[in-house]
Formats: sequence, C-alpha cells, structure tokens
Amino acid sequence: MDDYFHWKGYLAVMNEESLFIQSPYIHEDIIVYGPDSDSTTMAIAGIQYMHSKGHLIESIHLSDSIDARTVFLATGADSMAHNADLKFEDVAWDLLGGEEATLVVAKCNAQSYDFKAPTDVEIIDTGFFKDMNEAWRLEQEVHHVSQGAYVSTSQYLEGAVARLSLTSQKVGDRMIWPPRQLDENGLRISKESHMLLPEAQVESWTKLSAAGAPSEFSLRAPILGGIQTLLVRFTQGPRGVFLVTDDLEYSPKIGDTVHFAVRRIYAQEGMIRYGLKAIPKR
Amino acid sequence: MLVHLGHVMVDVAVIGAGQTKFGNHQLGLKAMWAEAAENAFSSVDKDFEPRQVDEAFIGSVAFGGAQLGNTAALLTEHSGLDGIPVRRVENACASSGFALRDAWMAIKSGQADLVVAGGIEKMNDLSPERKRFWLGVSGDTEWERLAGLTFPGTYALMARRHFHEHDSSHDDLVHISVKNHMHGFENEDAHIRKQVSYEKAESGFMVADPLTLYDCCPTSDGASCVILAADHVARQFTEDPVWIQSSGAASDRLALHDRPSVTQLIATQKASKSAYSAAGLTANDIDLAEVHDCFTIAELMATEDLGFAEQGQGGVFAREGQGVRNEGSVCINPSGGLKSKGHPLGATGTGQAVEVFKQLRGTVEGARQVRDAETALTHNVGGSGATCAVHIFGRERNG
Repeated sequence: MDDYFHWKGYLAVMNEESLFIQSPYIHEDIIVYGPDSDSTTMAIAGIQYMHSKGHLIESIHLSDSIDARTVFLATGADSMAHNADLKFEDVAWDLLGGEEATLVVAKCNAQSYDFKAPTDVEIIDTGFFKDMNEAWRLEQEVHHVSQGAYVSTSQYLEGAVARLSLTSQKVGDRMIWPPRQLDENGLRISKESHMLLPEAQVESWTKLSAAGAPSEFSLRAPILGGIQTLLVRFTQGPRGVFLVTDDLEYSPKIGDTVHFAVRRIYAQEGMIRYGLKAIPKR
Repeated sequence: MLVHLGHVMVDVAVIGAGQTKFGNHQLGLKAMWAEAAENAFSSVDKDFEPRQVDEAFIGSVAFGGAQLGNTAALLTEHSGLDGIPVRRVENACASSGFALRDAWMAIKSGQADLVVAGGIEKMNDLSPERKRFWLGVSGDTEWERLAGLTFPGTYALMARRHFHEHDSSHDDLVHISVKNHMHGFENEDAHIRKQVSYEKAESGFMVADPLTLYDCCPTSDGASCVILAADHVARQFTEDPVWIQSSGAASDRLALHDRPSVTQLIATQKASKSAYSAAGLTANDIDLAEVHDCFTIAELMATEDLGFAEQGQGGVFAREGQGVRNEGSVCINPSGGLKSKGHPLGATGTGQAVEVFKQLRGTVEGARQVRDAETALTHNVGGSGATCAVHIFGRERNG
C-alpha cells in the first residue's frame, strides 16, 4: 500500500505543500486520462484538494493545455491566462503538467520531490481508449453542433459557475440550485453566493440506450453502450441530475451516497463544455 | 359572424372532428393538414364551409425544423381558411391540447362563433442522423439534456422512483402496454395496429432502464382537426353535438429535479381539478379518458393524478385491469393511446378530442365502442409534465 488516496476519481499523494495527482488509468504502460478527463479537470481537482486542506490558491501558473476560464469558474483561482493584470512574479502557485496524465500543484518556490508510482491503477482497454479519443476529437471539431435544441455558449456560461462549483442561491434556510431568476413576488432572487455541500443521495437512476441519447452524446454513447444518469438530492435539499464520472460501469442503488467532480460533458463548436459528474462514494 | 353576448357565458360544442391516420406518412405537411381538415369538415352533419370559420389555432412543436415561422398561415391557406386570424400554438406535446383550449376560450369570450383547433407534426421525414433533432428539445436543455436525458430517461427516473415509493413495478407497466395495444388494434387511424402479448411486452429491448420498447410510444406523423361552435350556432351544423363541459390547464417546473415530487405531475392535478370543478364532476363521472401515455409510466401516474386511482395505487389500478374497455371502472385510452395510436407531438391533443367526439357520438368502429359513454376526458401533457391541458366532454351541455 502506498500513500496515495482517491480524490475526485484520481489518485493523489501529498508531500509537504505539494500535491501530485494522476489518472488511475494505464494504456500501454503510459498513464492516460479516462474517458471524460483532461488536464483541466485534473487541475481543478488538484486545486480543490489544496483548498480543502486550507491552502489558499488565488493565482496560479497554468499550461496552455488547461482551460483557464473553466479552472477559474470552478475554483476561483485566477491564472495569468485568465487575468491580464496578474504579474508573473506575483503568482504564488505552479501547476505543472507531465507528459502523461499527471499534474503537480506546488508553490512556485517549492523544491522538487520524487513521488513513487501508485499501485491502484487500472489497465484501460485499447479499443475503448482509441474509440473514445477519436470520438472526442470529432466532437471538438468546430463544425460539430448538436441537433435540435442547442445550448449556446452564452447560455452555457450563464450557468457555468453553478454548474462547475455548486454555487447556489439562499432564501431564508432554503438553498436553490440550479439558479432561478424571479420569485413568486416578482422580486429577483439574490445572486448565487452559497456553496452546496458536494454530497447527495441517489433518488433514482436510468441508463438510456445509445439510440435515445441526446445528440451531444451521439458519438460517445454507442461506445459506452448508453448514457447513465442519476437523479440525486443534495444533503441541503435541492435535486439535480448528473452523469457518472469516467462513464463507470456502476450499478446504482436508491439511497447511495455520491459526491462530485468536474469532468468533460461534451464539446460543441470547438469548445469543451465542462460540468459536475457524480462519483459513487467509496 | 360575431355575436356579443355581454356577460352571458357561451357553451361550446364540437360539431366536427377528423384526423389523418397516425404513422409514417408519405404526405408532406400541407397535404397532411389538408387531409385532417377535410375529414373534420366532412364530419359536420349539415352544410359547412371553411369560410364560415372565424379563427384557427394550430398546435405544432417544430416540423423537424423545416418551417419554424408562420406555420399556421402556411397550413390554413391550404384548407380554405384564408384571411382569418390564425396562429401556431406551441407547448411541446401538449401543443394542440392548448390549441383546443385557446379555441374554446375564443368562443367562451364571445369573440368568435366558429373556431378550428388542430395540430400537426411531421417527424419521420428526417434522415437517421437528423432524427436526433427531436430528442430532448422540449425538456430542460441546459440542465437535463446535458445530463444525458431525453424523455425516455426522464420518465424512467419517475418510474424507478414510483416503484421505490409505492406498490408498483414494471409488471404493471406491461399491463398498460398490453391494454393499449389491444385497444388500438382495431383503430383504423392507429400507428401500431398490433396486439402484444404480456410475455412479449415484458421482454422488450431496454430503451431507458427500466422502460423497454413496449413502454414507449412511437415517433409518428399525423394531423388532427376539430371544429368548435358556440351554442347559438351549433344547431346550424348538427343536431348531435358533443359539448366541451370544461377546460382546465396548468404548468409546472420544466425540469423534473426542480419539482417537489417526481412521482406526481402537479400540472395534471391542477388542470384536472380545475376541469372537474368547472364541470361539476368528479373522476367517478368519467366513462372514458384519453390520457397522455407517451410512456406507460405516464399513464400509470395519470390515473392517479386524474383521480381514477388513489395516489400510489396506479400500479394496482393497471394490474386489476381497471382501464380496460367495457371491463374496468373507466376506459383508459380507447383509441390505443399514444402507445398504439401514435404520438405526432403537435397533433396528439386534438387527436384525443377526435376520438372522444367519435366515442360520444357512437361512431367509432364497432368493437372499439365504449358502452353507454356519456362523459369523457382528454389529458394532454407537454414534455415531462411542464404543461397540461385537461378537457371534459359530454353529450349534455354543462349545467
């Protein structure tokens, strides 16, 4: 047993003030991202872990492969890519990506550490791995647009903070999520300012066949054998519907506890849309 | 001709109703609508000309994106309804249920004497790739669809939760499927005229766990049309009108997860309560009901929400065959419902009214006739329950 622990569907290990985080999937002896992960989702998981341990990460260096806007919306951590006012020397944290699906979150002046390899890894099927990568590649082409109803970029961004961070509205003791506009008195409900605890219970679930999946998932659903969705109720009251991280083969039961991680949802017009997915609590 | 009656409320009669066969049509939009209108016009017992119509309301969702603007004008000009006010009514699968309500209100208000309400949808003229156009367009696209849900999935969530909370199971849904296919088997206008055995319905291909193919309505083309008349002109057209005794409607949160209950449709409860109250009736007075069974679980829940069964007892109601024609306490979906008759979204609501018109006048194919039918109800739901229109029809005028 090593010192690795599971965090947001990844394997992580802490050393002093540095966090090493990696995908649990191996393909041909290389650590690879799972079917709905990338460097952005792993960066968010890393920053969220550091936040959970009391490290305040307000500014961070990010590599070009990471979607700085999504990191900012999900964690509040600003980056030079996102904020032109940041100066290089003022940024306190580095996020260093490896050639494989690994990341290190560390202070800029941190010394280097060696992290030994984890043992709790999973070999990913070659056919599945290649098919999913190809599906994502096609989905990210600029001309790829879902059919029928369409969530525009502005509509996606309007709900992105709530979608990525569970920021909710609060009226009295009642938490409201996803956000709403006016109340029964015609008054605007105060802006989202409270974070829902990221834990919920499964109230129902389904697995939709590939043929019936929304067009956003039309390339990946056949590879996955369908799309699984959970209806959950958060501990603080609101309900929501979520996909499952890594498109796991998971047999849910009503009453199961889940928590959440940011993952890729789909891509449209060259832009990956991110959101929270449910992780069965281990 | 408009007749202003001041504060006196007008009663509204259905004097004619017709539809196309529901199914895969070779006909285009204009021809399909014209056929439904022609069937409705020819069903009027006495002389009728479309030029007498004051206004028209046409329900439709989207025509697969083919003609999104001015659809009502496009259709009505091909059915002799030139020059009058027309509009498209869109409330997802309840579009023409609400077109019917709008037509009813136009007469009730005294602004019109003779009004057409209809609906149409052409869903099968898209390529296999483009057919995804229809999936999830009427749910909460931002939050539900991006969690992988289209309506089979949403109703599957309701079903599993209903099984968890109440005395119900997938076996009860199988009973509903078998019944509706039995009812629709002899309906000449039905999309799927095929009896289905319990064993076959039980073992269908899984569409959205726990719902199988036999729990889901087909994707249909079709058009339907009804002609409404104010009481003071109805007898010019027929001595045998069917009266709309009341209309109730309501809405609810669009997304399932935003509603207080996922095993009840509050919009159905509110709409039916309003309709029963206005008609001075209860569920016990209804002889037959065309309910919105886009999925079998939707019928199970509707029997509860409409008051035919106690809350939580819809499974028992189905299991005991309470909705079987001329055997149960009330005939549920004598046409075969959406499951067998078909579901051309915008045409479904007024299609239900066509069935009720024929049943109450005793003009359906012999074996399908509900005996001694005096009072009927239609229940048309938009999406997974965001909108609902309920109408009560009778051989007698209200009150």
